[in-house]
Amino acid sequence: MGQSAVTSKVSIGGSKPKSALLRRLVKNRALYLMILPGLFFFLIFKYIPMFGLVIAFQDYKPYLGVLNSPWVGLDNFRRLFEEPMFFRILSNTLILFGMNLVFYFPVPILLALMLNEVRRNGFKRVVQTLIYIPHFMSWVIIVSITFVMLSVDRGIVNEMLAAMGLAKVNFLLNADWFRPMYILQIIWREAGWGTIIYLAAMAAIDPQLYEAARMDGASRFRQMWHITLPSIRGVIVMLLILKIGDVLELGFEQVYLLLNSANREVAEIFDTYVYTAGLKQGQYSFSTAVGFFKSIVGLILVMAANWLAKKAGEEGIY
Amino acid sequence: MWKKNGALLMTAALSVTAIAGCGSSSKEAQGSGGAQTPAGPTKITIMANLHTAEVPSDLIEKKVEEATNTQLEINWVPDGSYEEKMNASLATGTLPQVVYLKNQSSLILFKDAIRNNQFWEIGPLLKDYPNLKNLNQTILNNTAVDGKYYALYQETPLSRQGVIYRKDWADALGIEPPKTTEDLYKMMKAFTENDPDKNGKKDTIGLTDRNDLIYGAFKTLASYFGTPNSWGEKDGKLAPDFTFPNYVETMKYVQRLHKEGIINQDFPVTSKTDQQNLFITGKAGVYIGSMADVISLWQKINPVNKNAKLDVVNRITGPQGTTGIWSIPGYGTAMLFPKSAVKTEKDLRAILTFYDKLMSPELTNLIYFGVEGTHYKLQDGKAAVVDDIKLTDRDVKPYQVLMVGGQSTNGMLKPYFSYDTKAKAEELILDNNKVLINDPTAPLDSKTYTEKGVRLQDIIKDATYNFIIGKIDEAGFQKEVDRWKKEGGDKIIEEYNAAYTKAKSEAKK
Repeated sequence: MGQSAVTSKVSIGGSKPKSALLRRLVKNRALYLMILPGLFFFLIFKYIPMFGLVIAFQDYKPYLGVLNSPWVGLDNFRRLFEEPMFFRILSNTLILFGMNLVFYFPVPILLALMLNEVRRNGFKRVVQTLIYIPHFMSWVIIVSITFVMLSVDRGIVNEMLAAMGLAKVNFLLNADWFRPMYILQIIWREAGWGTIIYLAAMAAIDPQLYEAARMDGASRFRQMWHITLPSIRGVIVMLLILKIGDVLELGFEQVYLLLNSANREVAEIFDTYVYTAGLKQGQYSFSTAVGFFKSIVGLILVMAANWLAKKAGEEGIY
Repeated sequence: MWKKNGALLMTAALSVTAIAGCGSSSKEAQGSGGAQTPAGPTKITIMANLHTAEVPSDLIEKKVEEATNTQLEINWVPDGSYEEKMNASLATGTLPQVVYLKNQSSLILFKDAIRNNQFWEIGPLLKDYPNLKNLNQTILNNTAVDGKYYALYQETPLSRQGVIYRKDWADALGIEPPKTTEDLYKMMKAFTENDPDKNGKKDTIGLTDRNDLIYGAFKTLASYFGTPNSWGEKDGKLAPDFTFPNYVETMKYVQRLHKEGIINQDFPVTSKTDQQNLFITGKAGVYIGSMADVISLWQKINPVNKNAKLDVVNRITGPQGTTGIWSIPGYGTAMLFPKSAVKTEKDLRAILTFYDKLMSPELTNLIYFGVEGTHYKLQDGKAAVVDDIKLTDRDVKPYQVLMVGGQSTNGMLKPYFSYDTKAKAEELILDNNKVLINDPTAPLDSKTYTEKGVRLQDIIKDATYNFIIGKIDEAGFQKEVDRWKKEGGDKIIEEYNAAYTKAKSEAKK
């Protein structure tokens, strides 16, 4: 379907050979050819699958297909809003998102600032590599390690608590510990990786600025405050907006692995709910509606953040 | 540059994570099936669950192909993620020609699709096949949807449930084999408190359990306490097991185990592997579940601890003075044939011919025991499997899942057990048949249950765990049961009772 739209566009262009557009196309044909693969990627893997969203408005049955499944209007959305779990899931999602922004987001910036101040290049590189590594571990491994460490039976943390004469804590089966566990795992895994863009931005800062500041007698801390941070402000804002775009993408795998009967009240988020209600129980339409709702909330938040950024004189992402 | 990224971002935001797959594009049948000339091998595509960690060798597969003139294409899916894979295949119309269903609850999920004519009915065809026609009518009835047969099945014992425990520990502490749930409690308590391994440290626990209320310890204990199997009759009407006082008694029992540190404290998040490891490494002394597991437990415990002795016991009586054990409807795996992949009746017949041959004693022995001389030896006319687990796991165990029928129908060899506790376990599994508690809803149907029964059951599952770990009390549990009722449970009760009365009045006629 998407492909036919493309060809029809081309043929329209062909009918007016003298149009400015065509001349531009011909002139820059190498550039346009180069974006073609990317364009097709988005068309095939992002835009065409989006038609699948129509099943959110259907009572989708796999054997009837998209074309023959009965339409039900907004029934699936109505069911979502009437679902007793809905507000709990929404608030869990927003709380985890808020924690992400407050506790995780500044960490890579701080790390990058610290790394930037390291004078010995060799040492800096070693540290950088070491803190990247967790990013390449799958959540299954990270959650398993957490389980082994925090288990009440033989877990090293509890053994240490016991050795110090303190009471053992059942971290895994306690709803209060879920959120700290979640955020610490994210920081451990992603903080190092997150420094890359900041470090790149810092490397691009004109060294003359620092030289001038040193001449004026600015301390290292002053240089950081008045040169480094303002120079990467644009990058920070951009990454913040992108982060907000992920507002409801809290990492299905991680949360699903941590989720259990005892912490469901704080750990069930949209992603895990879509999975349990949809894939595991075959309610395709309903879970698509849930996912759709989530995407719309995400989109609104991104637009709002972008608008705010522009208001504040920053560049925004579009 | 940022502009482009914005577009990228919006696309990403809009692309829904859900399964927005287009189911309409049902794939062409991968095998041309029986449509080919009879001389060429029939190509059959199969999706089955894999019980071992590694991809199996194709030794057995090659031999089966040779004997049946087929070309098999088996898509092995790890057992742990089998249900998701199966549902995703159904949703995207990419089911193979033969789908293996793990158990009864998978079949329930497929009922809707079966009713909508998505699978071949095989009932009328079975009589034409010399082996398949021997399949047990009663069990076939349990697999039936609206009285019609769609599935071949693999027979499983009606109930394997029982208690496995460390005999050497019990002997060291002078404890008799437990007869009642109270005996069992005392034994597990002693295993926790009285240093059964005599190493001078209090480093053992009584019971090892896992994140499974059904195949773990809970449901078996519930049976001992007289709880019905999923559904039971109360004042002439069907009611779910968790509305019975016996269920609450069982929860209190396990709660006591949890509170006193007799059971592994993390059991709601413990995997089966970890659960068994606690037993194998001599940390825990009791394992409640499938008694057939005693052989694999023994094979792993014996090399690390020569002094360890295991024993099995069943028929534990509860405080009410009686015993019982929950049963399954006689089949484990069931096999379905989707119409999307098996195009014509001719293709279906070619596949059934394959299964008919597979059900012969020779081939059943091949897929169940392996090659004589390599994987098993004949001893007193029985098959004695060699001790090399690595070998049998790689070559044979995965293929066992393909078997059709069982002991009573396909004429396979009887297994020989060199380990006498395993032989005893098999006896007790037969003995269980005398005290079975059946699920009265097995042949019944409830539309609401099919739709959201599983998710509703999660409410009860969570509540049960939360009660056991002491997070909620009895009133809190009751509140969750009410929630279950309100969110659809009442309807399920109603529908099952309507079907139940109907079935009863039909039986009287």
